[in-house]
Amino acid sequence: MRAKRIEISLVKYLMLFLNWVTVAAVTGFILVTTEEIRAFYIARDFIGGVDAIPRRPGMIFVACLLLMGILTCSFIMRDIVHFKNGKLEAGSLFCDFVVSMAIVMLLNFNYNGILLWVFANVIFYTKNSSGQFLFMLLAVLSFVGTDHGLVSVNYSLYDIQDYISYYEAGRQSYILGIYNVLTSLNMVIFIIFCVFVIQEQRGTIEKVNELYEKLSKANGELQQANEELQEYADMKEKMGQTKERNRLAREIHDTLGHTLTGISAGIDACIAMIDIAPDKTKSQLEVISGVTREGIQEIRRSVSQLRPDALERLRLKDAIQKMVEDTNTLTNTNVSFDCRIQPLRFCEDEENAIYRVIQESLTNAMRHGQATQVDIRMWPEDGDVRLTIQDNGAGCKEIRPGFGTAHIRERIALLNGTVSFDGSHGFLVDATIPIRWGVEYDQSIDSR
Amino acid sequence: MEGTKGQAVMFILLTAGLILAVCLGSRDNETILEFGMFAGSNWDVANADSCIIIDKAIEKFEKTHPGVRIHYYSGIPKDDYPEWLARKILSGKTPDVFMVLSDDLDKMVSLGVLADLDPWIARDKTFARSAFFQTALDSGVRGSRQYALPYETVPTLMFVNKTLLNQSGFGVPESDWDWEQLLRICKRITKDTDGDGRVDQFGTYNYGWKEAAYTNGGELFDDNGTKCYIHSEQVAQAVRYVNELSDLNQGQKVSQEDFDGGHVAFMPLSFAEYRTYKTYPYKIKKYSTFQWDCITLPAGPQGDNISEVDSLLIGISSHSHRKQLAWEFLKTLTYDEEIQMEIFRYSQGASVLRVVTGSEQMEEILGRDMEDSDRVIDHELLSSVIEKGKDTPRFARYGDALSLAESEVLKIYEEEKNVDSSLKIAQRVIEHFLAQ
Repeated sequence: MRAKRIEISLVKYLMLFLNWVTVAAVTGFILVTTEEIRAFYIARDFIGGVDAIPRRPGMIFVACLLLMGILTCSFIMRDIVHFKNGKLEAGSLFCDFVVSMAIVMLLNFNYNGILLWVFANVIFYTKNSSGQFLFMLLAVLSFVGTDHGLVSVNYSLYDIQDYISYYEAGRQSYILGIYNVLTSLNMVIFIIFCVFVIQEQRGTIEKVNELYEKLSKANGELQQANEELQEYADMKEKMGQTKERNRLAREIHDTLGHTLTGISAGIDACIAMIDIAPDKTKSQLEVISGVTREGIQEIRRSVSQLRPDALERLRLKDAIQKMVEDTNTLTNTNVSFDCRIQPLRFCEDEENAIYRVIQESLTNAMRHGQATQVDIRMWPEDGDVRLTIQDNGAGCKEIRPGFGTAHIRERIALLNGTVSFDGSHGFLVDATIPIRWGVEYDQSIDSR
Repeated sequence: MEGTKGQAVMFILLTAGLILAVCLGSRDNETILEFGMFAGSNWDVANADSCIIIDKAIEKFEKTHPGVRIHYYSGIPKDDYPEWLARKILSGKTPDVFMVLSDDLDKMVSLGVLADLDPWIARDKTFARSAFFQTALDSGVRGSRQYALPYETVPTLMFVNKTLLNQSGFGVPESDWDWEQLLRICKRITKDTDGDGRVDQFGTYNYGWKEAAYTNGGELFDDNGTKCYIHSEQVAQAVRYVNELSDLNQGQKVSQEDFDGGHVAFMPLSFAEYRTYKTYPYKIKKYSTFQWDCITLPAGPQGDNISEVDSLLIGISSHSHRKQLAWEFLKTLTYDEEIQMEIFRYSQGASVLRVVTGSEQMEEILGRDMEDSDRVIDHELLSSVIEKGKDTPRFARYGDALSLAESEVLKIYEEEKNVDSSLKIAQRVIEHFLAQ
């Protein structure tokens, strides 16, 4: 790629040099021949045989070389000093075109190869290939359009051939040969330049394609890595959660175990003592009761944020069932559970909330209402789940926060559900929970 | 470091300023207008005073244009002038104002060397085309554009050997005479006087079919030099008429010696020659043995008493940077009555201005150098000859084409061919030549 750039630059240097030589040769030749004609006093004959003559051969010679100097300066500014600004570049190219047209005019179209030089520069600085082809076409058109033979049809132009034919035949063919070689060499170099530019363009396209391929491959890899990372992060999170939960559960379990062990030991002692020293037993039981309450308090605090192991391990229905059975066996309170939803299986957060609401309500019924009967009912209603927990306890005249209702309200609200409490006949918790009936449910419905 | 840099810049600026000042100063002080001219007469007669008119014109111009100087190279002979001018043109140093020879006008116009004068004429309120003789003015026109103005003009007249005519009982013909009269006189005059069996007194010398054709309303070529009209009825009539005249000579060739010896009655003669040989010192050199005068050429049956009028033209270089001054100087030379009057004093031609040539002052100036017995050409006659005259064609190959035509006609005479059909062939040959 780099090598090609250097090749193109070399071709440009060669082209500039050749144009210098040709312009100097053509104007110099006309100047010298004019002096020769004057020296031999055949000006009248010469003038008689030509259609036009250059206005001032000396001036044309000097002017053309000056204009070539301008072209060279603008080339140096562009290619060696480099313009900072693209507009200056375009401006200098346009200036080149004007200058070269001036040279062509001064030379009366006897040499128009200088236009190819300008177009070579324009093509060199044109970035897109279609523009380059357009300029190549323009170059050819302007080159053909400024052909001496073509222009001289409509305008009288001086002709270098007239000056060449001043010399004797031997030298004529020699001079004509040089002239033709110079003009066609310039054309050949321009073609070589175009070929190089096209080749470079092709090279660039290949390079771009290659890079694009690499880029899209890298992009795919990156996406995959991203996905993996996401998976890993999810897993890590879950792992952390489980780990933490297990740790806490174990801790609670330990505390609970310890308390329960203490309680069971205390009760054993009471059993042994009850017949001998009823009073001592009584006070011992009071101690046990206090320990138990403390334990409960402690556990409540620890577990409040955790999903109970039961729910973790069992299905919601089984978990509730277990809770109901546990309560029935451990306490004097009789709990019934009536569920009209089959199968009872929701999303984790929904299950969690339902379980908690039931648990909290049971605790409240026992703790605050000293209820002996609690009825838990669940049934579907208008796409929602309706949950009522009714006890026969003391109830309350007005619902105050701190009775455990705040937690219930919060949980239901998180699921966009509604809940109402009624303490007039025992205590009633009435909740309506919108359920996102999942695929699992639909399938279950179908399979029923 | 800073100081030296500043000094260098100052130095460069000062030098540049100085050079500019010198250039501008020299320009302000003196503008030089180059004038290209040749010495001597345009009509190949001796003229020692050719520069006087130019010098007077320059003096007058420089007086009214202070700071302007006219420069010219003196002493370029007419023969060398085209080469001198061509060399100037070739090297891009064309004079601002220059004389244009008849043969060169076409080339100068096609090379773009001559400036189109129409815009200058249109702009100049003091300039009127009508002041010029139309014939003379038209000689500077190419392709309906005025490229040069006439400076001096010379019509062709008919030289009359008064002595010979008187001897044969004729007076000098009137200015509206015709072919028939000429033929009649020639028939009487052409004879063998010394009895050696050869005709030795002739009617005409050098009176050719070309002159006759013009007086018969004929044209030889069109203005652009692409067509030849040699086969037209007017020209054919002229060719036959001249043949008839030369038949009178019974095969004898009339020579310049016969004419100089006073043995020929008529000869076409340019106004320049008339003036030269009518005045001292040349009048004693030639035609001194007889009395002579000049009249118009005889009119043909379809034409008038007209003749060829040749004008010397002056133009402005299209590359001149001082065209306004050049135009004014050109006007001084061609349009200034005072300067134009000098033509009658110091040159051999006639003024191109109607007022000048038509003035009695002109007759008075011409009469000064003539003998009292000589009749000075009448200003009205001269004016009408110029006015009605036939402008010399000015296309590039006129000379060659005319030579060709003359040789073709000569062939007709020598080989006694049928005039009509031969002219038809000749016309085709000449047109073929012109088309090349």
